[in-house]
Amino acid sequence: MRHTLLQRGLLGMLISGLLVGTAQARTLETAYGDVEVVDHPERVVTLYEGALDAALAAGVTPVGAVTTRGGDNVAEYVTDYLHANELEHPEIVGVVREINIEAVLAQQPDLILAAAQLPEEQYQLLSQIAPTVVPHTQPLAADNWEAEARLFGQALNQEEAIEEAMAAVDLRAAELAAAIAAADVGGTAFLARWMPSGPMVMSTQLIATGLLEKVGLDVQDAGLIKADSAHSDVLSLENLSQVDGDWLFLATLNDDGQAALESAKQSAAFNRLNVVQSERVVPVNGQLWSSANGPLAAQAILDDIENALLP
Amino acid sequence: MLLTKAGSSARWRCSSRHWMLILLTALVAVSVVSLLIGAGSVGPRQVLGLISGSDHAEARFIVWELRAPRTLIGIAVGVALGVAGALLQAVSRNPLAEPGLLGVSAGAAFAVSLALVLGASAATLRIPVAQLGALIGCVCVLSVARLRGVGNDPVRLVLAGAAFSGLLGSLSALMLLYDQRAADEIRFWVVGSLAGRRLDDLWAVLPSLLVAGAGVVLIARPLAALALGERAASGLGHRPGLIRWLAVGCVALLVGAATAIAGPIAFVGLVVPFVARAIAGPDIRRTLWFCLPVGPLIVLTADIISRVVVAPSELPLGVLTALCGAPVLIAVVRAKRLPML
Repeated sequence: MRHTLLQRGLLGMLISGLLVGTAQARTLETAYGDVEVVDHPERVVTLYEGALDAALAAGVTPVGAVTTRGGDNVAEYVTDYLHANELEHPEIVGVVREINIEAVLAQQPDLILAAAQLPEEQYQLLSQIAPTVVPHTQPLAADNWEAEARLFGQALNQEEAIEEAMAAVDLRAAELAAAIAAADVGGTAFLARWMPSGPMVMSTQLIATGLLEKVGLDVQDAGLIKADSAHSDVLSLENLSQVDGDWLFLATLNDDGQAALESAKQSAAFNRLNVVQSERVVPVNGQLWSSANGPLAAQAILDDIENALLP
Repeated sequence: MLLTKAGSSARWRCSSRHWMLILLTALVAVSVVSLLIGAGSVGPRQVLGLISGSDHAEARFIVWELRAPRTLIGIAVGVALGVAGALLQAVSRNPLAEPGLLGVSAGAAFAVSLALVLGASAATLRIPVAQLGALIGCVCVLSVARLRGVGNDPVRLVLAGAAFSGLLGSLSALMLLYDQRAADEIRFWVVGSLAGRRLDDLWAVLPSLLVAGAGVVLIARPLAALALGERAASGLGHRPGLIRWLAVGCVALLVGAATAIAGPIAFVGLVVPFVARAIAGPDIRRTLWFCLPVGPLIVLTADIISRVVVAPSELPLGVLTALCGAPVLIAVVRAKRLPML
């Protein structure tokens, strides 16, 4: 009798093991505890720019995504990537701060990838639609995107593809660093957004400024960034000399960076900076440089750096 | 009896001349301080060094290219908003009528935003567009003011103005969402500030300020008559309807010009006539004269404060005037009896 019980128990364990195997679920550690995800998610919705980027880098095209911050579509570098690889454009399911839950539901996702800042109330709703993967919140740091991309890669069961993509970024950055050192065009750098009343200096802890560091530039924030803030207040024009380094990367929300640079040059205070006089102001796309992250964004940022420093 | 009245009038004239002198001296002093102090490291010592012949390029640039223009613009904006406030209060017979509170500034800012979204270049079209927006704002608000029951109650007019401002503000915000290209420029215009404004802008609005000034001189006497009531004004040979329209036109020119240079700056049009009336008494002509020094005095003082409180950044001037002006509004409303104009 006891014998058969043990046998049954073993048999039961075996069967349940098999059942788990056939359901093909894996468990991920997320900000809201352990989440079970299917082995091969087919309909992925990304509610975060970094998640969209990581999914594409891992070879998965999401069916739904949120817009880039302040825009009405995904970031331009993503559109370009989709176009170049003839991939289908994800449906827009809201903006990062305001997700359209009904639009998410309409996509019938089997996996949702969200931002670390996703509020718990939204998580509760979303996790009823599909397993929702939320990275642990960390203080602002230039390499946060790597840990997040890794988690998204695990969720998509594409760890290897993500590791390869990130290794490619590191390799490219190292090559660029060598080339920049050889050309001797390094030095100090600032990333700022220009307003007619003055610049807003961006943190040194963004993916873009982190990459600038990796290619050998000395990125500074003139001590203007308060803890855990992505950018400073508008700096007074009287203090412009504080951002007068060897390179100034000017993030613009407008499509036409050159036009934004021209309008900044209407300001006499801007025009007399050494960095402007020596034509080392680089207009860059604010969507990419101050909002996006992920392996593809990193490659696009490195493209911009290469074009600017090694023309 | 007649003699004492004449005597008191002469005494009044004398004391008002004193007041004018004091205010003008204060204005000169504040203008000098405005050149001396800023958010940057160039302080009074370096600036005074310039006068004694030191060759500090940074200080020279900051004083002549940054602080001098914003001081001049501050003076122009203060005059325009102060006079516009006094006019609007006289026309609506309401001590709370203020271009910022009633949505006239919001109308101007909205019109500029709309023009930017429709593709106008910010540099050229802005001033006439802002003035047109201010005019439409004025007409809307004053037509509300003439509705039964609203005109008699100053606070209700302010409520109507607040609703109108809210509407225009949300429409501007909507356009911000809709158009990325213009977003940066609009953001810049919806917050009032004197920082980064160019002298070219001042020269561009100067003609319309002069036209408005001439208009004010023309209607000052009829406006004073209008304060006695419509019938009395008609009896004195004035045409109340025409005067009112001329005054509204002047307000639109002034507020449109000020908004086109500095963006909407709230409460200046309330506080300045309030102070000027306290000095000058109820006569609109004297009030208007006193608005000329008081307006720039208040705007420049606020601007200097806005530069130093959060250095190395600057607080937008519009935020600061709202912080200082709101208590005045509450004080006026809570006063036992609102002065009827």
